[in-house]
Amino acid sequence: MVQLAPADILPPPGAGRSSRLVSAFADRYFKWLMIAPAAILILALSIYPLLFSLWVNFVNYDFQIPGHDFVGLQNFLQVIQDPLASSALVLTILLSLTVVAIEFVLGLALALAMVRTFRGRGIVMSLLVMPLFISPVIVGQSWALFLQRPFGPADYLLGQLVGHPVNISWVGEVPWVYIAIVIADVWQWTPFMFVILLAGLAAIPQHLYEAAELDGIGGLQTFVHITLPQLAPIITLALTFRLLDAVKLFDIIFMLTGGGPGTATYTASFYLYQIGFQQFHLSIATAGSWIFLILLSVVIMVLVRRLLRVEAA
Amino acid sequence: MKARLTPWKLGTRRLREGAVRIVIVGLFIMFVLVPLYWVIVTSIKPSKDYLTVPPVWFPAEPTLVHYTAALFSYRGLQGLINSLIISSAATLLSAVLGTMMAYSLARFRTGGQHLAFWVLSQRFLPPVAIVLPIFLLFRGWGLYDTHIGLILAYTFMTLPLSVWMMYAYFRQLPKSLEDAALVDGLSHWQAFRLVAVPLAAPGIAAAAVFIFISVWTEFFFALILTSRYAFTLPTIFRAFLGFQGAQYGEACALATTSLVPSIVLGMLVQRHLVRGLTLGALRG
Amino acid sequence: MMNEREWRDFNAGLSDEVDSWLRGDTSRRTFLTRLMLMGGAAMLPGLGFTAAGSKAWAQAVDVSKVELADPSTPLGEAQAAAVKASSEGPKEGSAYRAVQAAQAYKAKNITLNLTYEAGLQALEPKNFSGPLWQTLTGINFNVVELPHPDQYSKPIAEHIADSGAYDVLDIEPAWIPALANGGVILPIDDYVTKYMNKADLDDYHPLYKSITLYKGKRWGVFDDGDQFALYYRKDVFEDEKLKSAYQAKFGKPFGLPKTWDEYSQVAQFITDQLAPNVYGAAHFRKFGSPGNQFSFLQQFRANGGKFFDADMKAQLTTDAGVTTLDQMIAQNKASIPGNNDLDAVAQWAAWLQGKVAMIFSWPPTGRISSNYAQRDKAINFIPQSSIADKVGYAVLPGGNGEMASGYVRALAAGSNNEEAAYLFMQWVSAPPLSLVRTMLPYTLRDPYRLSTYKSEQYRALWPAAKDYLINLCECSNNAVVDMIMPGWQDYALSIDRMCTAVWGGEDPKSALQKASAEWDSTTQRLGVAAQKAAYQEFLQIPGSYADHTIEKVGQAVHIT
Repeated sequence: MVQLAPADILPPPGAGRSSRLVSAFADRYFKWLMIAPAAILILALSIYPLLFSLWVNFVNYDFQIPGHDFVGLQNFLQVIQDPLASSALVLTILLSLTVVAIEFVLGLALALAMVRTFRGRGIVMSLLVMPLFISPVIVGQSWALFLQRPFGPADYLLGQLVGHPVNISWVGEVPWVYIAIVIADVWQWTPFMFVILLAGLAAIPQHLYEAAELDGIGGLQTFVHITLPQLAPIITLALTFRLLDAVKLFDIIFMLTGGGPGTATYTASFYLYQIGFQQFHLSIATAGSWIFLILLSVVIMVLVRRLLRVEAA
Repeated sequence: MKARLTPWKLGTRRLREGAVRIVIVGLFIMFVLVPLYWVIVTSIKPSKDYLTVPPVWFPAEPTLVHYTAALFSYRGLQGLINSLIISSAATLLSAVLGTMMAYSLARFRTGGQHLAFWVLSQRFLPPVAIVLPIFLLFRGWGLYDTHIGLILAYTFMTLPLSVWMMYAYFRQLPKSLEDAALVDGLSHWQAFRLVAVPLAAPGIAAAAVFIFISVWTEFFFALILTSRYAFTLPTIFRAFLGFQGAQYGEACALATTSLVPSIVLGMLVQRHLVRGLTLGALRG
Repeated sequence: MMNEREWRDFNAGLSDEVDSWLRGDTSRRTFLTRLMLMGGAAMLPGLGFTAAGSKAWAQAVDVSKVELADPSTPLGEAQAAAVKASSEGPKEGSAYRAVQAAQAYKAKNITLNLTYEAGLQALEPKNFSGPLWQTLTGINFNVVELPHPDQYSKPIAEHIADSGAYDVLDIEPAWIPALANGGVILPIDDYVTKYMNKADLDDYHPLYKSITLYKGKRWGVFDDGDQFALYYRKDVFEDEKLKSAYQAKFGKPFGLPKTWDEYSQVAQFITDQLAPNVYGAAHFRKFGSPGNQFSFLQQFRANGGKFFDADMKAQLTTDAGVTTLDQMIAQNKASIPGNNDLDAVAQWAAWLQGKVAMIFSWPPTGRISSNYAQRDKAINFIPQSSIADKVGYAVLPGGNGEMASGYVRALAAGSNNEEAAYLFMQWVSAPPLSLVRTMLPYTLRDPYRLSTYKSEQYRALWPAAKDYLINLCECSNNAVVDMIMPGWQDYALSIDRMCTAVWGGEDPKSALQKASAEWDSTTQRLGVAAQKAAYQEFLQIPGSYADHTIEKVGQAVHIT
């Protein structure tokens, strides 16, 4: 129920000329004034710092070395020549593709399993989406405790399952450490895929399936010819969102592996954190951030523009 | 409802599918619950039960001592209070500013698609790339390690979420009521404040909950931008898993304390989950 | 618009509100009561945990806010002595002089911000030294709890942010050069001359007296003797069956290992004979635990390794480096399953359960082995010891144990109350206070003063406490120290990463090459010439190498 314009909230007739001028001004530039506070905040906390850091890119900014001398491209060279930087970038790409692929498959399977109503569906839904509301730090910590060797339950449970003692070093050895990271990420983000894909599935018109059933078309074919094409825009959207988040992977690494063993699980974010905020080579970390940002911007441009087109359509 | 149409053959297929469905969902639920259970049970275990083989699943003498210790002997309570202050303030600010901007974008197409896209693109900036300049900026403005600094950072971080959720919401609201109000002589602001906002209240509430959850669970900004005053709950778990001390119970007690509110809130807005996750791009 | 200072004050005010609420005994109780009414009696155990079972027995000062032990116990005696030394003298004592000088601040209502490692370390200033200092001087304190790596990075961040947030920093000695060069900490020589009793300075074990010197200045007071020592199971090494089996197999008597090769041999032998009941050894080799850099550098030097050559090129990829990693791999193999994933506490748990025959570790090992520490609820995450009277203490194989980390109290540049901060540092590390703080059951502060090594009260804590103290002193006589030079944090990180990579299966040689390359790039970034000078200075520190220990420079102290 909306109350329409009661008289007492109209501008009082006796208001001064200047205040009327102000309100006229406000009304005229209303759309800009509405945007201003948010836009200013974003400008202040994203554009201004980025411009400032543009300067940091080309000077020395390291607390152990006094002064801010101009060093040219030195900072960028330090990053580019650091084998760890490139391996961290490669790992970031590989890991995010892996987790997103697994989350997609699992999420789709779950969505297909959950698309029909059944008794207790509400409770099951609540349980399935729970990981989305949990801080990634807690996710990392939970898995660190769970996988801990020799006292965590993971190896013990696996041992019970296979019938002989299992002694896997989940965070100390390749490839287990990658598997541990993937498990933790999949745990947290499969529900994301699931929720979105479920919404997509539910939106597919029922009559398409009914027609297919009457024509005696098999389950797999129905899936390939009806479900997938109908779902395609949603899939693009889900993959885009997830992928752009997955490349930021930091919290789980921070809690679970600390980048180890060696530097085996340094992702781009963790690498930059380590250089910038543990070793305080601020200008090198800034240069690294810019490289990462530029690479990402290209991806963001392409993917998000496409997304907007999908949405506009 | 379609069962009447289904031939017998399809019926058995349904049955088989049903079994597969139960297995998939059941396994995944176990996968979700087991580590959570481990954290919660560790938080009530007496410490002699931590480092044992086989692991203790059901402590014989459960205790709440880790909760009282983590909250009152260590910094837990202050972290909790900080988290509440910062999350609430950032939520309020982000919801208000976001709704205003979204209204302008939706009703006036302000800045065309570019402005909307620009806001959205902030959502995908990697925090590590901007936190360093923000750190240096905060340093200059005296905002480092302050509640206000973190509130601003989180408002900035969640603006894409609130703007886009509300943008989508306003676009599906009919414009006619506001037009009528304008004809009746209300200013644009009054039409927004007295007509559009009440209509959009459910959407704003849902957006606010999502903002709150994403601030409540955030770690990276808090890690970099705070130290002794404004630290939030997620930044202090790891302190218990340190150098010569491993206070698993205390760490898990704080983790449990932190995950309960966000899960409860999450359950409340489960209906809007799709919109929340896709910034309103999908309605669900 | 508020200015910077006002912003900060506003925030400080808000936090102080919260803090005082947390700290103030009465309001805290009220809060707890209210919470209990709200949340039911579920919170009951918390009261038992936080309540201080203390009474005011010292007449001179009202110490009701300080958590004190029963005065008839050795700890209670030491506490009474500490209170007396602070309030009544001897007049020339550093504790008394610090308290006297601090009276100038009594009416000024100032607060000192002290960084401490989060968790157990922070309980001591909260329960004991903080409240006592407040009672004695009227100066308030605020304990800032930071995880260990943040004790380095947050003061730097605050320094860059120029916030004046900290007054007294708890830092590793090896951080001194970086923090001193970066202007994060201040030299304290003038204050030492003015206020400290010379005898109390000389009461430091010589290793710890010299370890705070850099570029000819003193950068803090040493406050935590993190000396590695070897702890072993006497019953295992006296086992007749093992003795004869070892003699038969190796043709020499079974005994404590004297070299690192012997160490892995003995450990492997015990594991072969007694596993799964007892394993030869356990180590903390988990990433960042942090143990790898200490173990590696200790053994690398025992194997004759030098860190740099004359041109400051890293010398890790040498025979010494390869030998060290090979030895460490052999140690891992000879150890308890899961060795490479153990942190210090998990290692202790295995040891206390009687599953391990030898561990080299920090001094708390001795206190928990004898079940002394576990009497306090705060340390209840450590299991009870099943080996209390079976533990022997020894120097490490190779003879030179790492003085692994340790803590120095340093004066933060930008402190608003420099002198008061210094006075607190002097007081808290003065002999009678240092004794109490290293004696508290839950403490992680370890003895570092000659008077502590000799203390009758400390020696009365458990039957073998005297041997424990003597062994710590001997280990410090022969200790090697961390690389106390700029860039230590970077160099150490490279070593930790190198080690965990090798435990994860990487070839030692290639891991060493990687670490060498990282060391070289760290050196280059900091400037080769500057690092060369810093290294020369490091070489002068007793404990830089096995041929330049306290013992070798003729300063050793042998106590009985």
